[in-house]
Amino acid sequence: MIDLDERYKEKKSFFNRLIIVYAFFSFAFTFFLYRTYSLQVSEYTEYETAAIENKTKEVLVQPIRGIIYDRSGKIIVNNVPTYDLIIKPSQIKNIDSFLSDLSLIINLNSNELDYVKENFDLKASYNRELVVKKNLSEIEIAKFEVRSYRFPNAFIDVRYSRYNNYPKLFSHAIGYVGGVSNDELTNILSNQNLQQIETIFKYSNGFQIGKTGIESTYDNLLRGKFGKKTYEVDARGRLLDEMQFIKPIDGKNIFTTLDIDTQKVAYDQMDNRRGAVVAIEIDTGSIVTYLSTPSFSTNSISNGISSSAFNALIKDNNKPFFDRASQGRYSPASTIKPAIGLFGLENNIIDWNFTIDDPGYFILPEDQRVYRGWREGGHGKVNLNKAIIVSSNTFFFSLAYQSDIYKLIDYLSKFGFGANVCVDCFNPDKGLLPTPEWKINNLNFGWFKGDTVNLGVGQGYLSATPLQLAYYSSILANMGKSNELSFVYDKNEKKKTYIQSENISNLDWKKLHHSMIGVIESPIGTAKRLQELKTYTVAAKSGTVELVSTETKEDYKIIRENEGNRDHAIIIAFGPMPNPKYAVSVVIENGESGGSVAGPVAIAVLNSLIDR
Amino acid sequence: MKKKLEFKNFSIYFDQYLFISITLLSVMGLFFLYSASQGNLNTVIKQSIYVGFGLAIMLILSQPDPDFYKIFSSLFLLIAISLMFATMIFGKEINGAKRWLNLGFFTLQTSELIKIALPIFLASYLYNKKLPISLRHTLQTLLLICFIFYLVYSQPDLGTGLVVFMAGIYILFLAGLSWKFILTSFGFIVLSTPFIWNSFLEPFQRQRILTFINPSNDPYGSAWNITQSKIAIGSGGMSGKGYLDGSQANLNFLPEAETDFIFAVIAEEFGFLGICILLSFFFFILLRCIYLAFNARDRFCRLTIGGLSLIFASTLFINIGMVVGIMPVVGMPMPFISKGGSSLLSFYIAFGIIISMATHKKLMQK
Repeated sequence: MIDLDERYKEKKSFFNRLIIVYAFFSFAFTFFLYRTYSLQVSEYTEYETAAIENKTKEVLVQPIRGIIYDRSGKIIVNNVPTYDLIIKPSQIKNIDSFLSDLSLIINLNSNELDYVKENFDLKASYNRELVVKKNLSEIEIAKFEVRSYRFPNAFIDVRYSRYNNYPKLFSHAIGYVGGVSNDELTNILSNQNLQQIETIFKYSNGFQIGKTGIESTYDNLLRGKFGKKTYEVDARGRLLDEMQFIKPIDGKNIFTTLDIDTQKVAYDQMDNRRGAVVAIEIDTGSIVTYLSTPSFSTNSISNGISSSAFNALIKDNNKPFFDRASQGRYSPASTIKPAIGLFGLENNIIDWNFTIDDPGYFILPEDQRVYRGWREGGHGKVNLNKAIIVSSNTFFFSLAYQSDIYKLIDYLSKFGFGANVCVDCFNPDKGLLPTPEWKINNLNFGWFKGDTVNLGVGQGYLSATPLQLAYYSSILANMGKSNELSFVYDKNEKKKTYIQSENISNLDWKKLHHSMIGVIESPIGTAKRLQELKTYTVAAKSGTVELVSTETKEDYKIIRENEGNRDHAIIIAFGPMPNPKYAVSVVIENGESGGSVAGPVAIAVLNSLIDR
Repeated sequence: MKKKLEFKNFSIYFDQYLFISITLLSVMGLFFLYSASQGNLNTVIKQSIYVGFGLAIMLILSQPDPDFYKIFSSLFLLIAISLMFATMIFGKEINGAKRWLNLGFFTLQTSELIKIALPIFLASYLYNKKLPISLRHTLQTLLLICFIFYLVYSQPDLGTGLVVFMAGIYILFLAGLSWKFILTSFGFIVLSTPFIWNSFLEPFQRQRILTFINPSNDPYGSAWNITQSKIAIGSGGMSGKGYLDGSQANLNFLPEAETDFIFAVIAEEFGFLGICILLSFFFFILLRCIYLAFNARDRFCRLTIGGLSLIFASTLFINIGMVVGIMPVVGMPMPFISKGGSSLLSFYIAFGIIISMATHKKLMQK
């Protein structure tokens, strides 16, 4: 045994050591308490936010796309409901018996059964819905609704498809919708300060975006704004209670200036020939007809098309996807002549009395090269009026020959050549208004006088789209006043311009209209065959786009054996005269005669617009 | 101050401070557990049975004279060691760890027993040794401690192993381990740390420690627990979200909410104020233990009270340190609060023995 002194020493040592250890723990616990304090009080906001973020999940709700109307309020593109049968897997205990009960009412094929069985567990564990069958028939809906009390965990919900009521009439004007790329989606959502997350879809095809035409240019308006549902979730991501629902804002309806009836007339007239028709309301610049043929069904593109059918469209030699109306480049040919005539008047090169003798050709003094007219032997004595009516090349060759190229180009540009003339067209081409600089840069050749001469009859490098030709036609009709073209009329956004001229009076414009009326009404007019097709007067200028240059009619007969070598038929027209309301342009590829092939189409379109 | 409850024909040894505070803590624990288990009544009923049983054991173990524990301490240790070996052979394997022995009515985590038996044995071995403890006795003691640590560690159970190790060291230190030895071995440990890192720690343990040092390492792997625990605590704020209204626990974001991370549940629902009240109970118990140790009748009792109360403090220390993100996640319950049979009972046993040591006075000898 230890003695007292030892006992005392031991006791003291024990106490000291116990205090040391306890002091350590006191220090540690104080530190922990401080730590808890800083978490709970100093950094409270941060952790409160984190806890809320943890337990909430946001789900986007897709808005419904706007409807597209024609100018009389008829629906062109609508959202058509389809009905899907949907179940709540988390509420269903035995899926096999559930499905066997259900299949007594609604026939489920093996694909549908497999799909349900594969996805059932996953959807159940996350408390999500599962689509059992898409696109129910009316009979199936009725059969289910009558017995729905037996299936409290199944319901029928509507999903939409984008549906064009006239799928082949408006293939290019309205365009189609399609799937969204990741980048596009991120971009769309970031405009609303949203992230790409789970979404409740209103459309069977999920996210979609306008790919072409009005669906694309007005996508921002048509699309609407995504709504947001906020759910409470647990750690496994299972949806619990719905906490908040910000409803989606459906897209705006678009009221276009298009006219379904006229579009249909144009479509029937074109009869699947390659070409384009554009018609414009002159006062407003509103596009009422916009057709490129051959066309395709936008519905099959939007809502699923077999890859073989799609490949057939892609490989079709007639290029149905190609929008000839705003992307096809064609020489204006003789339709340019009224503008050249105006240029001559403006610059005092000619007046209405100025007359030349047309022998059927023009010889360029510089190199003696011969530029031929369309009629052998020519038209005899020709002034501007007759030159337009009979479409004398010689008159305009010699007029162009006397013109300054830069002035001429500048003048043509006022009619929309080489420029974008439309506010809301999808991807419009500017055509080509050639300049000497363009030629040296692109073709490595200097500008010849002959090039200017060719410009005088709309041949050579100059090219324009049917849309530009219609715009040009409307300026001629409106005596130099122009309205930018558009599918949706908005007064404030429109640019109105007026061609300033020093030497052209209203009387000149009236005389020009008179000449263009003569193209149809005169017995020597190039489009006199159109006289009988209408009950009012129309001003027009036809054109024939030469694709292969030939010396004689016999030569042309040989090259026309190949359809692709035949001339393009082209016409611009406006009416009813003397106060024109509509201007139109028609191009028919390889149609040969502007007056008698493109002309009837233009008149039919004007009839449809004016006769009402 | 009464140390006994006197009845007509008999008296029982009893410390009302410890008994009341432990009972209150246990009952509060039941309420916390009800919330942490998302209202699972079965869990709470099972836990209440353990609590009732534990309080009874505590009372019973307070009765024998300390000499009983001193005399039979080697027997207790032998039994505990045999149970450890039995676990090694017949044990139930859960998640790759063999720590539990199925006794039919109860699944015993045997390391929880050795956590009590080892310090009592060491106290009985060292209570009559001269100061400072000689190198021979020191080494003998250390050898035993290391052997038992290894038994627990190899299950594997690093957390309990460390507590057992610390329990032994506490007794050795309190009994008068020489400062010279302490300083020498401290230097030695510092030098050998890299060796321990490479050859003793399992890869997952290393990962835990690495993640602890740099939590951005993998937010959804090992650090997930800590991140969620911090969110739970922090979002509780000053006064908490209210009982049963903690979203972190109720929506399963907080892992191990019923056991290791129950502190976070309490912090989330009762806030900083709740935590202060809870911790004050623990502080009160520890202060009471110091007082009892100072007034114990002899060196054996002092050592036992000191050692057992320090095990209690260490367990709490590791648990809270881990939950608030200061120490690595090793798996350590909160005494009297966390769900669990063996660890809960081990603390009732420990406090039963502490009360026995504190309340029995020797009549003769001074």
